[in-house]
Amino acid sequence: MENTFDTDLVYSIFKLVWRRKAADREEEAEVIMDTDVAGTSRKNRPMTANSNALRVSCELLQIFVTEAVQRAAIIAEAEGNNRIEPTHLERILPQLLLDF
Amino acid sequence: MGESEKTEEAEEMAELLRDRFRLSVITIAEAEGKSASKRHGMEIKEPVVACISDLAFKFAGVLQNPDDSQVLANDVRLFAQHAGRKSVNMEDVMLSAHRNEHLLGLLRSFSRDLKSKEPKTGKTRKRPSKKDDVIDAS
Repeated sequence: MENTFDTDLVYSIFKLVWRRKAADREEEAEVIMDTDVAGTSRKNRPMTANSNALRVSCELLQIFVTEAVQRAAIIAEAEGNNRIEPTHLERILPQLLLDF
Repeated sequence: MGESEKTEEAEEMAELLRDRFRLSVITIAEAEGKSASKRHGMEIKEPVVACISDLAFKFAGVLQNPDDSQVLANDVRLFAQHAGRKSVNMEDVMLSAHRNEHLLGLLRSFSRDLKSKEPKTGKTRKRPSKKDDVIDAS
């Protein structure tokens, strides 16, 4: 299992999402009260993640991808096809999404 | 003006991250496809890989439409916030997989491996934990 996601990549994805969310909340806070600088700055301290958490996240995403491929491969094999087609992915998609 | 510029920048960033993410997914999926079938490797059609990559990316968190569900990134953030922390740790990630027993088991063993791989740095800094003190005292 040497193929896995880059922890830096996952971290930048997380940070992007968090930054967006923080910006949204900032807007909301501004609408409610204009002058509470201390409060907002405390809330806006950026979220961080430790390296092990990122590694586990990478593992989780990798399991998601391999699981998708493996399940689709089982369907393809059952049909006697050695190529995974979009229809095979369609078949396994509902259960896959429920499982994650 | 400045705000629209900012969102544009974020969009660009998201695009870039998505492309990098897709590259990783392609290598993983191809390796998995080769080992999937015992007799001969499975060939995976291009749109299938693209689809899986999109799904995984949505699962991880970044979307064009910020109102859509952003599963993993938000989950771990909320869990960490609920615990009153400003940093996400392994427990938060594992909590996000709590609905699937098997998945949780996989992540548990993975995190155990991680912990056992780096015992030196952990132990040198580690003081005897408070739990042990309590037990000794009683």
